[in-house]
Amino acid sequence: MSPEPVCTGIPACSVCGEPAIIHQRHTGRYLCGTHLVTDIGNRVSDTIASQQQVISGDRVAVALSGGKDSTALLILLHRLFGSRNDIRLVAVTVDEGIYGYREATIRSAESLARRLNVEHISVSFGELFGDSLDTLLKGREQQACSICGILRKKALVVGAERAGATKLATGHNLDDEAQSVLMNVLRGDLFRLVRNSGTDSGGQFIPRIKPLMYVQEKEIASYLMILGIWEDLPECPYSIHALRREVRSILSGIEYRHPGTMLRLMENKKKVETAFSGKTIGEPVGRCQECGDPCNGRLCQCCQLRHSLGR
Amino acid sequence: MKLILPDGSFRLLDQEPSTVEVILQQEGVNPAEVMVTRDGKLITEDTLVRGDDELRIIRISHGG
Repeated sequence: MSPEPVCTGIPACSVCGEPAIIHQRHTGRYLCGTHLVTDIGNRVSDTIASQQQVISGDRVAVALSGGKDSTALLILLHRLFGSRNDIRLVAVTVDEGIYGYREATIRSAESLARRLNVEHISVSFGELFGDSLDTLLKGREQQACSICGILRKKALVVGAERAGATKLATGHNLDDEAQSVLMNVLRGDLFRLVRNSGTDSGGQFIPRIKPLMYVQEKEIASYLMILGIWEDLPECPYSIHALRREVRSILSGIEYRHPGTMLRLMENKKKVETAFSGKTIGEPVGRCQECGDPCNGRLCQCCQLRHSLGR
Repeated sequence: MKLILPDGSFRLLDQEPSTVEVILQQEGVNPAEVMVTRDGKLITEDTLVRGDDELRIIRISHGG
């Protein structure tokens, strides 16, 4: 039986009838704060269990930028595993060196890790690549997201290795994942479209897991508001150059008018993955001749980039 | 109605009772990219709002 609606001009929660704070358009449900928190916790738990993202004995490095997604990720993983003796969490923060942007998120990351009593490791671009991102990007601002993405991925792996991690968890949400599918289609990048870095490691690298991959960005932001820890942090100054920004805007408009589009993109990616399962796309995975990291080709993307940056 | 925008500036709207969605669309904002609060509490895009309400639009995407 549906709960009685509360007559305040506010739609009622589909579970309890209290004032709703979010309309889950893809399911048609309205949820109050309490039931949104429960619903997200359940979905993340289901994602982790169904994909065996975390198992007994794992030491999980949690990529913690201090932004909303990674903050929610660490809180959710801490709620699920914080009291388990057989699973350890370690937060890893990368300081790219973005003046006026990163300082606030790093403070937020440090504060959260301290509050949850989670071990916290930091690595910086200065330490690993000799300079801050701001300096490395001089004259190359248009390529900011590509360059930062490659270097940040490397920095996270270094942090995870220092933490002795068996898994690397990132805060990619449903919007991020659906955007990536669409971007890979737009670029004609079949290799990235069918790659699954959570299961395709072959023991060559720390598997990446994405426990928030079926939670929408707006749900995550609302989750933090309900917990009282939403922070209106600054926007990355380089995001104006990103293709992702355009794709995000297009896709969120389509999702609003046609709810469920992002989930359907993910379902279709899974079908393509299955169709290509066991097949090699492009060059087989080997080792970088300079750093030894797994890669397709003679040099990994990070070493290629270091050469082009003169590092 | 007082409408506080993501950059902290505000506008006073002479607005008939309508839904949050209608107001966001008038402002050219996609409801999927923002949260809206009334008196500090989150509300859905189909909540009915009135002339004496104070609404705050919070942008949720920050990149990075």
